[in-house]
Amino acid sequence: MSFVWRKRWFLILFPLLLAVSIWQIRIETDLNAFFTATDDEDSRLLSGLLKSGELSRRYLLVVEKANDANPTQTLEEFSAKLTEQLAQLSDVEKIWIASQPPRDWIDAISSYAPYHARLFSLNPQQEASQLFDPDKLASRAAKLKEALLSPQGGFVKTIAKQDPLLLSLNGFKNLQGQFQRQADLHGNAGALILQSRPAALDSDAHSLLQAAIQASFDALNQSAGGGFKLSMAGVPVFSVAAHSEISQDVTLVSVVSSLAVALVFLLLFRSFSALHWVMMIQAAAFVLGTLAIALVFKQVHSLTLALGASLIGICTDYPMHVMVHCAKHSQTPLSAVKLLWPSLLMGGLTTVIGYGALGMTGFPGFEQIAVFALFSIAASLGLTRWVLPALLAKSNIRAAHLPGIAAWVAFCGRHRRGLLGLFALCVVLAGLCLPQLRWMDDMQKLAMDMDQLKRQDEVVRAHFTPIEPGRFVLIQADDLETALQRSEAVERRLNLLKQQGVINEYHGLFPWLASQALQDENAKVYSQALSPQFQDAWRGALTKAGLSLDKLGLLPPPAAEPLQAEAVLASPVSHILSGQIITGQKGVALSLWLGAHDPVKLAAGISGMEGVRYFSQKDQLDKLAGMYRDRSLLMLAIGISIMSLFIWLQQRNIRKVILTLLPTLASVLFIFAIWALIGEEVSFLHVIGLLLSVSLCVDYGIFFMDNRGQNSDVTYHAIASSTLTTLASFGALGLGKTPTLPILALSVSLGVTFGFLLCPLLIQKPSKQ
Amino acid sequence: MKGLWLLLALLPLIVHADDSELAELLGRIRQHGAAEFSYQETRKLELVSSPWQGQGQMLSSADGSLIKLQLLPRRIIMASTEQRMYFWDPEQKQRHSASADQAGAEAGQIALLRTLIQGRAGELQSSYDVAAKKQGQHWSLRFTPKPELGEQGSPTIEFSGDEDKNQHQILIGTSDGESTEYRMTKTAEGPEVENSIQRLLLEAKGD
Repeated sequence: MSFVWRKRWFLILFPLLLAVSIWQIRIETDLNAFFTATDDEDSRLLSGLLKSGELSRRYLLVVEKANDANPTQTLEEFSAKLTEQLAQLSDVEKIWIASQPPRDWIDAISSYAPYHARLFSLNPQQEASQLFDPDKLASRAAKLKEALLSPQGGFVKTIAKQDPLLLSLNGFKNLQGQFQRQADLHGNAGALILQSRPAALDSDAHSLLQAAIQASFDALNQSAGGGFKLSMAGVPVFSVAAHSEISQDVTLVSVVSSLAVALVFLLLFRSFSALHWVMMIQAAAFVLGTLAIALVFKQVHSLTLALGASLIGICTDYPMHVMVHCAKHSQTPLSAVKLLWPSLLMGGLTTVIGYGALGMTGFPGFEQIAVFALFSIAASLGLTRWVLPALLAKSNIRAAHLPGIAAWVAFCGRHRRGLLGLFALCVVLAGLCLPQLRWMDDMQKLAMDMDQLKRQDEVVRAHFTPIEPGRFVLIQADDLETALQRSEAVERRLNLLKQQGVINEYHGLFPWLASQALQDENAKVYSQALSPQFQDAWRGALTKAGLSLDKLGLLPPPAAEPLQAEAVLASPVSHILSGQIITGQKGVALSLWLGAHDPVKLAAGISGMEGVRYFSQKDQLDKLAGMYRDRSLLMLAIGISIMSLFIWLQQRNIRKVILTLLPTLASVLFIFAIWALIGEEVSFLHVIGLLLSVSLCVDYGIFFMDNRGQNSDVTYHAIASSTLTTLASFGALGLGKTPTLPILALSVSLGVTFGFLLCPLLIQKPSKQ
Repeated sequence: MKGLWLLLALLPLIVHADDSELAELLGRIRQHGAAEFSYQETRKLELVSSPWQGQGQMLSSADGSLIKLQLLPRRIIMASTEQRMYFWDPEQKQRHSASADQAGAEAGQIALLRTLIQGRAGELQSSYDVAAKKQGQHWSLRFTPKPELGEQGSPTIEFSGDEDKNQHQILIGTSDGESTEYRMTKTAEGPEVENSIQRLLLEAKGD
């Protein structure tokens, strides 16, 4: 095909591809999808909890009187109004004052009255002597009368007509205690819990919801004389802040990276025409890579695009290499690209291998980047080979002379022996440093720095009785009945631990859900206790209290059938328990939420219980971090091995393979040694960064070893140009606030710099200058 | 047939007469400004074998708040404001509060009392059929829940009195046969009552 038609086809197809990409692309901003693997059950559980776990969807709101303010409403009135208004928001599932159970909870409790004889206690045998003590019946009847005359009279009457001893309320005494503790802590107003509908990491929805909450508050506050202030905490608050930071990072990195590469390009070639064509080629490669992800995966993660933008800086290497040779040898672009094609192809292949290995490290996000790399590098290579000569046909290409390049090559040649000795010494010293290498075992250190938000979170949480969203007791079983029996055993153990001060409170499932075994045990104890003497004593107590014998005198037998858990889960109670019934697991999984506790003692306290374990999101994340690190190291080794194989297939000379790889391997060793010396904690991200730098540095080795132009000065100039663009594009990552980006920037920048400097030293100077 | 036409012709006058009586009685019970009443309460509950007796004071403020200060058999404060209901039992150290629409049936009766005592019975006309009756010096206003609204559990209310403007009876009856009767006598009016209301409200809120 003639150059003219190649250019025309490129100019027609590029906008078409761009349009298709925009049509197909769905941007994913959920950090969870990028970072959390789902290839084992625990990871899936963690991922699900982070994404849509009930506690993750909760906001804690605190309304307080502003200092020196004199609002026209009391805090209680204001909180009540705010609660009413926020309940109207479409993304609010439920909102309640923390010290008072939501209305639907109270209604649900009434529905348990017919099953009172089956649900009154978690430990019916032990509690029976207290609950069925005939001497206490007079006092219980008197209290029943008081309750009937109280503001809760209607609620009590509904229960008492079915459950005169109010036994069903005994089962719920823990729940009452939780609300009472909250009231003791913060009073009856100001502390609100808002259950949102969107998944915790749906940042867009939560951003809108937070704005709506603030707007409602502001409007009410204005009408109340502006005397109140609102504080907010919860996982969605962090996810929105993180999303905002990442969006800023993506924009910053993309813009700075593109500008830096363009600037380096202009400095090197001083041609806007060439810049324009090369940038179009890179844009086409970027679009193809993005389109490939959109077709292979459902959504494209925004971080993939940010890292992809840096990858484009690497793809610029291929046209630049061609252009340097073209300018220095006064060749046409076509002849230069034909001459360099085997080296470019091998360089591209090793880079793809590196990124392929990266995709297999376990990070879902890096799978996308691997696919992006495969397609964009292939596109960049193909366009460099067949389209670039057509685009540059009329461009006047001049390459700037980079000072020091020739001098460094010459210096390495002159002092090779001494420098090699120094290099060998450095290798030995670096090897000695390696045992001091510290591995990062806390994934939190990779999290974004949000100290201010964390402080605000602590201040807000101090107003609430604590539930730790990241730690709970996980109960698993093949069927619901077994799971409930295990859950009840855990609750009994937790009650003991509570008495020992290991935990201050927990949110269990009893009596909302109770196993049939426990219900039968309760019924048996109840039936035994209901002797004729006991019934007589009860009637005597009713008479003494002035209560109706007709309505309350007959203590009914236990319900014939137990309360079926499936029926409970099909009723409105399922909304109350939704966060504690974990779906998507094999069999049945239940969770018991924990208040403030000692993790070590609690884990020890429940150890040995079948199907029960203490689950900590942090521990799980740290376990994942360790797993990623091991996989990254393995992939680093596998990546280097495959690259070696391909280089051997091309060179068929083991010495050349070793020489090609030596600068890269040496830089990896030196970087590890530097990290060991400065005490840097090395995470899987550091290793992944090195893997990237290896895939890039190997290209330099290949170019330098091949030296197809038979002029090492020109080859090294071309490599220098590539190094500069790589540093420009990956250096831009260092500006990001997401810790992932600076770590990758540092790893890759150090790797390519060492690799570049070591090439002329370690690879024997080609015979012809 | 002629009789029917005559009846139809006179119907507007009959209705008009009823309306004017209702307006007069509503005007008679309207309370302007703060006032204090002593009350005697008799409650007949489904689960309690004999009527329960209580007594105390009701304090009505100009801003619409109502305090029911029960003194016997023991001191309890129930308060109703525009938005909130408050309950404080100092002996049991029990304190509750809820928004007016979520306070439950018993607290809802206090809100009803507030409406009646403060002479805003007209507000009930949207959900109640109101029948006014006057026989000599005795008068009564009977509020029956409108059947078409289908609100189960709304009580019937009878507000009655005689020539003494300071004495009223209020009888609230529920569909399950329970009833509460208040016999009330106005004992004071003016700013002093307002002060007492604010003090008791603060006590009920726990501020």
